[in-house]
Amino acid sequence: MTDSTLDSSSATADEAVAAGTTAESAVRSDSGPDSGPNSEKTNFWGVFSSTFLTIFLAELGDKTQVTTLMMSAESQSPWTVFIGAALALISTSLIGVLLGQWLSTRVSPRTLDTLAAVVLLVITITLVADVMGV
Amino acid sequence: MDWNLLGLSFVAVFISELGDKSQLAAIALGGSSSSPKAVFLGTAGALVLASFLGVALGSGTAQILPEKLVKGIAAIGFATIALQLLWVSDENGA
Repeated sequence: MTDSTLDSSSATADEAVAAGTTAESAVRSDSGPDSGPNSEKTNFWGVFSSTFLTIFLAELGDKTQVTTLMMSAESQSPWTVFIGAALALISTSLIGVLLGQWLSTRVSPRTLDTLAAVVLLVITITLVADVMGV
Repeated sequence: MDWNLLGLSFVAVFISELGDKSQLAAIALGGSSSSPKAVFLGTAGALVLASFLGVALGSGTAQILPEKLVKGIAAIGFATIALQLLWVSDENGA
């Protein structure tokens, strides 16, 4: 790999802080002074942007998904392939969130939060292992 | 519209995404978040945009961006959310 990563290290630190700050609002808080439509709107965008950012970056770095898409894009109509892929991605996202919602009705919030944290940490470790070439 | 190709693409991507880390993240975030709608829109939007860039740029974005950098930032993001969840669940359980 090139050394260009060193040049942009300060930029990535800023991005990481931004991702972390918006990530704070992603977590459910059962207590606190937040109430009213204004904070709900801010909360929505906070959750949206932290989710969007982390998943977008995780997918960009994932060669396999893009390779699969590119291989099929060698076909006559790459945009047809894209539409099919986009529909599939939207479906799997919906299934994932609905599954998470269903799980939240089965276990206590605290258990779920801990489980969710464990899953996300496992993903983190997987990503770090990829980066380190393990 | 080549429906066969559309269907094939849908099935191929659907199966490969099932159980993929992005779906695991969607399950984890969707269940624990205060706004599941935002999680769905964020997840679906991010995945579609990443695929769109892959098709539009033609060479795969993984070759343009430094992969380690991008994955590293994503890892920090996930870890931050995870730690926030642990911190909040500790508060609730106390």
